[in-house]
Amino acid sequence: MASSNLPRRIIKETQRLLSEPAPGISASPSEDNMRYFNVMILGPTQSPYEGGVFKLELFLPEEYPMAAPKVRFLTKIYHPNIDKLGRICLDILKDKWSPALQIRTVLLSIQALLSAPNPDDPLSENIAKHWKTSEAEAVETAKEWTRLYASGA
Amino acid sequence: MDSEDDMHDANDVESLDDDFYSGETEDIPMDYYSDYDDDADDYFDDGDESDKPESRRSEQNFIILRESDIRQRQGEDISKVATVLFISPEAASILLRHYNWNVSEVHEAWFANEENVRRTVGLPEKPVVQFPNARELTCGICFETYPCSRIKSAACGHPFCISCWEGYIGTAINDGPGCLMLRCPEPSCAAAVGQDMIDQLASVEDKHKYSRYLLRSYIEDNKKTKWCPAPGCEYAVTFDAGSGNYDVSCLCSYCFCWNCTEEAHRPVDCGTVAKWILKNSAESENMNWILANSKPCPKCKRPIEKNQGCMHMTCTPPCKFEFCWLCLGAWSDHGERTGGFYACNRYEAAKQEGVYDEAERRREMAKNSLERYTHYYERWASNQLSRQKALADLHQMQTVHLEKLSDTQCQPESQLKFITDAWLQIVECRRVLKWTYAYGFYLPEHEHAKKQFFEYLQGEAESGLERLHQCAEKELQQYLNADGPSKEFNDFRTKLAGLTSVTKNYFENLVRALENGLSDVDSNGATSSKATSSKNAAGSSSKGRGGRGKGSTRTGGSNKMTDDNV
Repeated sequence: MASSNLPRRIIKETQRLLSEPAPGISASPSEDNMRYFNVMILGPTQSPYEGGVFKLELFLPEEYPMAAPKVRFLTKIYHPNIDKLGRICLDILKDKWSPALQIRTVLLSIQALLSAPNPDDPLSENIAKHWKTSEAEAVETAKEWTRLYASGA
Repeated sequence: MDSEDDMHDANDVESLDDDFYSGETEDIPMDYYSDYDDDADDYFDDGDESDKPESRRSEQNFIILRESDIRQRQGEDISKVATVLFISPEAASILLRHYNWNVSEVHEAWFANEENVRRTVGLPEKPVVQFPNARELTCGICFETYPCSRIKSAACGHPFCISCWEGYIGTAINDGPGCLMLRCPEPSCAAAVGQDMIDQLASVEDKHKYSRYLLRSYIEDNKKTKWCPAPGCEYAVTFDAGSGNYDVSCLCSYCFCWNCTEEAHRPVDCGTVAKWILKNSAESENMNWILANSKPCPKCKRPIEKNQGCMHMTCTPPCKFEFCWLCLGAWSDHGERTGGFYACNRYEAAKQEGVYDEAERRREMAKNSLERYTHYYERWASNQLSRQKALADLHQMQTVHLEKLSDTQCQPESQLKFITDAWLQIVECRRVLKWTYAYGFYLPEHEHAKKQFFEYLQGEAESGLERLHQCAEKELQQYLNADGPSKEFNDFRTKLAGLTSVTKNYFENLVRALENGLSDVDSNGATSSKATSSKNAAGSSSKGRGGRGKGSTRTGGSNKMTDDNV
């Protein structure tokens, strides 16, 4: 796809993502749509997702950067702020979005969310409940899912 | 009963005594007429006794604001804060928005801890980032480099290019009133984006939207102001809390309650109104159908739909009561003599004589809660309808009839104001009467004395209003149809004006009595102590009236009534 009508900002961001990737994160634009990114995030160490490779898709809408990118998990994940369709509950993807944020900062925030689940602001009620009533058990399930769905993909 | 004091009680102190306690029903019509004939001025005297709480209450404690007034007040508040705190008007506006446009709260917070206020509101004293020698800067959004003339920043100094600012501000304004709290795009920065930047960077249309939001915020976030809730009305109201009266009448002629923003509902309190409205919304559909299509079985009270056949009804087992659909009497009392199977002479006769036992029916219906509700709802709704009709009539009067009448009767239109006044009074009375039915519905079932008293007052109010309505509608008709001036027109004026004044007075007293929770019924003591306390205030004007023969009669009536109920 011709990149001529793509805003300079997106081109610059893409170049930087490819030349200096953030640790544990890779993002590359799709060949036929420069606004569509295939993303992989490694499960952070010392989290139930450690050892997992999580696939996500990221799309930059027409209004970007005035509007937030659209991101969702493609890999199944057991997490109180991520629902079974892979949608993510994260403030900077909604009302806290600022055009001074970037793809990189969004993906880093998602990685941080894997390290620090927030069951008090849940997207998936059941998982959040599980997390709050018996965290150890919930963490076990998350590890189990990581092993089942996110290993060696 | 023969001392001066007692007479005062009857005549002045609680002028509701005049009408409420006037004893036998057959006196009432006479009272109405005699009152306005003999001493209509007495009613105006009442209003002059300025020490009475009622007259304080009638002082207007609200101001209706047009858009220009709102902008003026907002501007005044902003410049007040800007002057006192030595800050720009834009900064003052941001501060005021954060403190819900409360000037004194802004001052207080600022002088208590200016640094803290600046931080939370987003008014840094000096930029957090500075590029004093830069000729070019990189925009934090599009990552392009621009000469400094193409770069702008909020008070914090974070640099963004003009076109990114335009996009940022445009997006925020089109996202809604949240744009009034707009911050620097830098995620870690809380610096506010003020109206000065909006004015420089937003499109004409967006600037207009922003200014609407700012205006709305001034009314909606301020505890002392509200929009008039009437559909399409653009006026706002500023209200001085403190007195007990929440009624506000907007320039658009809509009357509403400041406290709950429902339509004005004195003498009923806001809680009762909310309950009643909820109940109506839940049940009105069913109720309308039941009202339109059924009657309760006179014996078992189950609603019955009559979809065909004659008037001889037999309720379904186990009740099996046989009754007449028209008069709801037992069928055993019916026969050839009463009109056979298709009509009921009893019903027709009773209806014509007007002695149909409404009270009996009412009491029976009250046994069942649904039917009890029906009773009140039906009357509430029909007064609502009458009120709407009266409003339409008033409008018709003002736009069409008055002009014509002024021609035929050779009177200037200013001399016909008494007709408008009468209609305004009818509209108001219908409103009060309507709410008395919600009041009645929630009046505790076991307080028989109160209930009885209430129904008496309500009945009197109703008949007084009917008299006024009749006069304003029917009697006026002959002058509207007349070809030339009639001699009786002046008499008509006196009569209608008198009726208006008497009815106004009666309803004001009714409202007051209901607002006091009909406390007169509670005990003798309450009545007399109230009488003593306000006696002095009422003293002077009562002298002249104390001597009236009627005074003592009424006092007698008053005590009789009270005794009966205690």
